[in-house]
Amino acid sequence: MINVILQVAQVLGGENSDIGMILQTLFSLSFIIYLFYAQRIQAMTMLRQVEVTLRKVKTIKDEGRRVAIEMVKEVGKPERDPTPDVDRFLEQFVISPVSMDPAGIMGKLDQLINVSDYTNEAEVKAIAPQATETEAHNIENLLGAAHALNYYYKAIRHFYLLGKKTMNVYIIMQIHMILPLIMKEIEATSAAIQAFRNGMPIGDGVGPLVVSKLMRGHESVDVARETVAAWVPYEGRTLILLKAKGPGGSVGKPGDGVAKILGDDKKEKKIKAVIMIDAAGKLEGEPVGEIAEGFGAAIGGVGVEKYKIEEAVKARNIPMYAIAIKQDISHVIAPLVEELYKATDTALESVKRIVTERTQEGDYVLVAGIGNTMGIAQ
Amino acid sequence: MLMTEQNTQISSMSMSWTTLAVIVVIGIFSLFSLWMGFQALSSDKPEQSTYYLLTGTVGFSAIGYMFFRTKAVTTRKPDIPKVDVVTILECPACELKRVRDFKRGDYIYKDDEPCTRCEANMVITGIHRRAEPEKKPKK
Repeated sequence: MINVILQVAQVLGGENSDIGMILQTLFSLSFIIYLFYAQRIQAMTMLRQVEVTLRKVKTIKDEGRRVAIEMVKEVGKPERDPTPDVDRFLEQFVISPVSMDPAGIMGKLDQLINVSDYTNEAEVKAIAPQATETEAHNIENLLGAAHALNYYYKAIRHFYLLGKKTMNVYIIMQIHMILPLIMKEIEATSAAIQAFRNGMPIGDGVGPLVVSKLMRGHESVDVARETVAAWVPYEGRTLILLKAKGPGGSVGKPGDGVAKILGDDKKEKKIKAVIMIDAAGKLEGEPVGEIAEGFGAAIGGVGVEKYKIEEAVKARNIPMYAIAIKQDISHVIAPLVEELYKATDTALESVKRIVTERTQEGDYVLVAGIGNTMGIAQ
Repeated sequence: MLMTEQNTQISSMSMSWTTLAVIVVIGIFSLFSLWMGFQALSSDKPEQSTYYLLTGTVGFSAIGYMFFRTKAVTTRKPDIPKVDVVTILECPACELKRVRDFKRGDYIYKDDEPCTRCEANMVITGIHRRAEPEKKPKK
């Protein structure tokens, strides 16, 4: 090898070498080309990476659509082909209200979400008439995942085609820079397809799972849409346990539930604390299933339910404690991992400790498990 | 403005004419270079043959790589991961614990199959992914 390199060097370095001259010219030429076309070459390289990702996303998106149609046919037994209905659902959109004058925006958002929820529920019942309540909820979740995948695909494709059309490096860069993060979300959503199709508990279900462990064997009542509560005695206190109604995939209306329970207690003022348990995004390096305790309303989403809870708690001026069960974005809607399943026991111990340390005997404590209760009954 | 699926296809996935032209040019150049290399071997300047042979080989390697990349993009379909999920059953009477594969319709706190020891109904107490075998850390 060294011999070959030496020979090449000898040939190229030789005086009056024709090959050396040709190479010199080629090198100069490539340098000039690179001087003018460097950005274009960079754009082409990035575009190719976006293209490869787009292929992958298309496959995942098509699989999501296929599974959704298959499940509707299998479970709902519709009289006609549900494909056009599913395709219509995948193109559905919600226009967020104007926020230039933010006063009253929560009410507008709430009304919008309610309309969307009720309409989707009715549509799923129409396209899958034979599905049970649990199955219908799971179909809704599955269609939601397929909808998200369809949107991701269209967004990436938009930037890809626009970049290809203009060959503008800054347009291509916009999508190229966030591609790894988007891919992480897409892979998480693709894992959700298996969970939603089969009604498996998901990572986001850790909150309801903790509450259901305390609720088990006790009578529960409906307190809001798809939301249940149970009154359970514990160490001389009474725990009011609140979660979405399972085992179908639903997050319920915890804001309405908390507001109703605290509103009903307005005169007696028995409730002395609110504890909320929810899944929380972990930072890189943090272990999956780590439990962290804090203060405030532990709830995600667009903010409507959080707003309702904060308003109701503020009106009563009682402390609100939060328990977060840390997980990666890839775990949130994927089938529950063992670490998170085990973490629910640790979170349960945290709830019990907060109750015994921060409240008195005879007090009532509202414990809300926030998240999607798919595959978790009460 | 509605965009139809037809006009938004990812068209450049297959080999373009430009790529093909580049491959042909490199191919001709590499072939010529190899021929020159073999000529030089039998001539009075054998030291030049190394350079020609090297150029030709690199050219053909580049062509091979371009074909490989194109094929990889057009035919490889990404895998959509499927995970193993297990259901944990417990007998409330005799506390027998059993783990089996997840079946569609399983949910936590569902009264399931009869206990094999005492014939009371077993209850599903847990559903989670089967733990994946730990990967050996890279040295």
